[in-house]
Amino acid sequence: VIDGRHVTLAHGNGGRFMRELIEEVFVRHLANPELDTRTDAAHVPLPPGEVLVTTDGFTVQPLEFPGGDIGSLAVHGTVNDLAVSGAVPAYLSLSAFIEEGLEFAQLDRLVASMAQAAQACGVRVVAGDTKVVRRGEGGGVYFATTGVGIRRQGLRLGLDRVRAGDAILASGPVGDHGTAVLLAREQFGLRGDLSSDAASVLPLTGALLAMRGLRFMRDPTRGGLATVANEIARATGLCVRLHGPAIPIRPPVLSVCEMLGFDPLYLACEGRVVAVVAPEDADAALEAWRALPDGRDAARIGVVQDGRPHVVLETELGGERGLEELEDDPLPRIC
Amino acid sequence: MSARIPVEQARRWLFGGRVQGVGFRPFVYRTAHRYRVRGWVRNLAGQVEVVAQGGPDTLLRFGEALLLDAPPLARPAKLADSLLPPQALNGFAIVDSRATGPVHVAVPPDYFACDECVAEMRDPANRRHRYPFINCTQCGPRYTLMRRVPYDRANTTMAGFALCPRCRAEYTNPLDRRFHAEPVACPVCGPRLAFEAGSSRRLVGEAALDACVSALAAGQVVAVKGIGGYHLMCDAASSAAVGTLRARKRRPHKPLAVMFPRDAGLAAVQRTAHLDDVHRAMLLDPMRPIVLLRTREDAAIAPEVAPGCSEVGAMLPYSPLHHLLLEGFGAPLVATSGNLTGEPVLTDNAEATARLAHVADAFLHHDRPIARPADDPVYRVVAGVARPLRIGRGNAPLEIDLPFTLSRPVLALGGHLKNTVALGWERRAIVSPHLGDMEAPRSLALLEQVTADLQELYGVRAERIVCDAHPGYATTRLAARQPLPVSSVFHHHAHASALAGEYPQDGDWLVFTWDGAGFGEDGTLWGGEALFGRPGAWRRVGSLRSFALPGGERAAREPWRSALALCWESGRHWDDGPVDVTLLRSAWERGVNCPRTSSAGRLFDAAAAFLGLASQATFEAQAPMALEAAATGDAPAIALPLHERDGVRCSDWAPLLDHLLEAGREVRERASAFHATLARVVLDQARAVRAAFGVSRIGLTGGVFQNRVLCEDIVRLAQGEGFAVFIPERVPCNDAGLSFGQLVEAGARS
Repeated sequence: VIDGRHVTLAHGNGGRFMRELIEEVFVRHLANPELDTRTDAAHVPLPPGEVLVTTDGFTVQPLEFPGGDIGSLAVHGTVNDLAVSGAVPAYLSLSAFIEEGLEFAQLDRLVASMAQAAQACGVRVVAGDTKVVRRGEGGGVYFATTGVGIRRQGLRLGLDRVRAGDAILASGPVGDHGTAVLLAREQFGLRGDLSSDAASVLPLTGALLAMRGLRFMRDPTRGGLATVANEIARATGLCVRLHGPAIPIRPPVLSVCEMLGFDPLYLACEGRVVAVVAPEDADAALEAWRALPDGRDAARIGVVQDGRPHVVLETELGGERGLEELEDDPLPRIC
Repeated sequence: MSARIPVEQARRWLFGGRVQGVGFRPFVYRTAHRYRVRGWVRNLAGQVEVVAQGGPDTLLRFGEALLLDAPPLARPAKLADSLLPPQALNGFAIVDSRATGPVHVAVPPDYFACDECVAEMRDPANRRHRYPFINCTQCGPRYTLMRRVPYDRANTTMAGFALCPRCRAEYTNPLDRRFHAEPVACPVCGPRLAFEAGSSRRLVGEAALDACVSALAAGQVVAVKGIGGYHLMCDAASSAAVGTLRARKRRPHKPLAVMFPRDAGLAAVQRTAHLDDVHRAMLLDPMRPIVLLRTREDAAIAPEVAPGCSEVGAMLPYSPLHHLLLEGFGAPLVATSGNLTGEPVLTDNAEATARLAHVADAFLHHDRPIARPADDPVYRVVAGVARPLRIGRGNAPLEIDLPFTLSRPVLALGGHLKNTVALGWERRAIVSPHLGDMEAPRSLALLEQVTADLQELYGVRAERIVCDAHPGYATTRLAARQPLPVSSVFHHHAHASALAGEYPQDGDWLVFTWDGAGFGEDGTLWGGEALFGRPGAWRRVGSLRSFALPGGERAAREPWRSALALCWESGRHWDDGPVDVTLLRSAWERGVNCPRTSSAGRLFDAAAAFLGLASQATFEAQAPMALEAAATGDAPAIALPLHERDGVRCSDWAPLLDHLLEAGREVRERASAFHATLARVVLDQARAVRAAFGVSRIGLTGGVFQNRVLCEDIVRLAQGEGFAVFIPERVPCNDAGLSFGQLVEAGARS
């Protein structure tokens, strides 16, 4: 049914409806000098430096949640992947897979939010595509973005640079995004004190890029902090030791996790950075982060050590717990 | 025609079993002298070979004596007995070990100080008077001492102590009790005690012992290095001292073991607890285990030792050091494992000092290294038989004969909590001591060490691995990292096979495997299952009504979750849970982190919560233990409906809730009714299965059956109806038995 308020299959058939959809929703919000809908490929000038490319898909449910939405997330997610690689993002491409029946009003809000996020990050959407899928075949809308960024010539970051003795830092509390999205998705009722941390991490990564002792950064998204820690251990062959009491977790996140039986260390963040830095630079890095609005709660949360490649969490009681790689569907082991 | 009877014969015997490290060769030597036979004895790759020549009758009697008069710790098994042509032999000799040929090693456990050594230690004229490391071929540490095979001093943690001339003379004299007692030592050449308290001066020897006794008398907590690790000790009669230990160890409720002075007639134990002959025999068993005993009303120990429990874990001094300590202190001492929750007991001086710094006021160290930890074994008498809850120092490594021959050596990694590993080859199974909870990295590291050590000590290399079917267990992940073929066994199949492996017999079983939870065949969490069949061919024929457990794993420590789950599942109300559960209820309605389970253990949790006995648990099984302790009344069982679907007879607990929720009834009556009802469930299911399959041999295993009241109710009911009931008595029925069960299951399949 074409009632004028919802996206229909006709909006994906290459005809007038599709052109109108692109012009009135996407181009209207995302317009910039390099975005030309009449060409098949965008020609973009690149500043000097190394070119980095990344791509990511976004399927979050619900589409809008406290602290963010899938539109801004599609920008932040890809921008953040470039940022933690040490790059400054320049361009994005966008693919939108819209489900038949999505309200135009909602799509408009999401794209507006995307545009706002892109502008704040200084990144331009220069190429795009839309598809409409049949009702029931998509979760309202999915986005895929590809990002191009420029990294200073010679800047080397990576897990191969991590050494035993390096400090592990977190830029802020973990688990907010995962908890907020969970509550919103299951319609558990809103809680004023819980919202996603989704944001660009450019200011956070930018603050550390000049440090010689910076080894590696990652944004702990799916699988959370515990998964990043496991990636570090596996790639370096070293032991990652996290100091539980030092890991910042906001009380409402902790309280929801305790009630529902989730481990916040495995829940996604969308605006945090985990950095591995040489021990002598750890304090300076923390200071730099804490001077930023998104880094106020930054903390030194652990250390890389010689030993079997695994992740050890020191608990409050002085005990130790192994943090294993995430299972697809974790089943209780101990009850 | 006249028979030519030779004047002399020569015979050769080969002995296996436990013949190493137990003074068997010196015993053969002495016996040969007694019977005046000539020949020799030697070690032969873990076995002992004897060749003797003499009159035919004498030889026969000599051969019998080798079996019948063997030293108390030896368990010789005659593997071969044959005639040899008479030879030119003079005298009788202990000849050098020969390390060739097939290895058949038996690694001995750690032995309690024998009466002779204790008597020498008490004798002021003896050169080992008050020496805390006295031992002989009949006693002393073994498993925790051996670094590698063969069992020679150089391969033990005593390697660093050079023998003084007098000890050497004993060690090399075949007629001496200390002939080749590998840990032999004396004050001149052996290990010494050292007492450290904060920045005070370090004291050694007798002064260290005195200082330790004084510290204990002053109400302090002292970490004392023993045989298989450190104990945390304090005055068991002092509420303040026990309270301090609990607060510092952050162990508010879990019962603490108590070591009692060893006196005539076990008087000190008897002042604290009720003892029958089975208890008495178990306390005095060579493994010197912790035995759970019913506490007397007028017990002279602080109630904080085992709060909310009607039992106390009692043990006797087993090392010379413990004898000296208990004699010096003169009263029962709390002696709990020096570790952090779920981790292995600490064994290294520096590590213990660092990691117990916040718990202990002082340390009594010694400088004999411990090769690998072993906690004290724990036993409970259920249905008249002492049954293990934990394998450890004194009975580990535990050897069990397999009812079949394994084609290839198998390593079984067990489960997740309270874990053990088992190594199987040919017809032998070896179960490790308690290794701890596998989510603790140190426990997992210990499991890897012990796994390597057992293979090294027994000269066996595993060619395949068995693990639990749960994908999230640390042991399952560890299995996947090994370069060997891996097969998995469902948790409850392993429980059932452990029991069947302990009582090998032909035909089918009906085994009730009730516990907290394990990964089941249908991907849900099982825990109240009845399995029919035999190892390698189990089939679920009974279960409990399943329910969704809100918050998943957290339910193990929060019994109120199980209570709410049962109420929500059956449309009942319970007002005594946490104040605001709106969020949890929403999650439960949507199935968010609410796995379905048929766990019997969670029913106990729920019942304990309904009765106000435990809504939070600080250790596993706290709620069920409180419920059992409360079940002192006499109450009839509630009849529960039994529905059969797809071949599974399922008991519905719902009517039991109404009874449990009747606040007007006495707690002890409701607790008793709960036990009686679950016993009835077992009987009802057993009857139904017998009607279908004719099986009348039932087994009870899984952690729930550590419950004495429940087991004894079932035994009484079932025997009255012609069932034969079996409960594990060699391997714990809890998850420590999984590794053995996995071996049995894997062996039966191949």
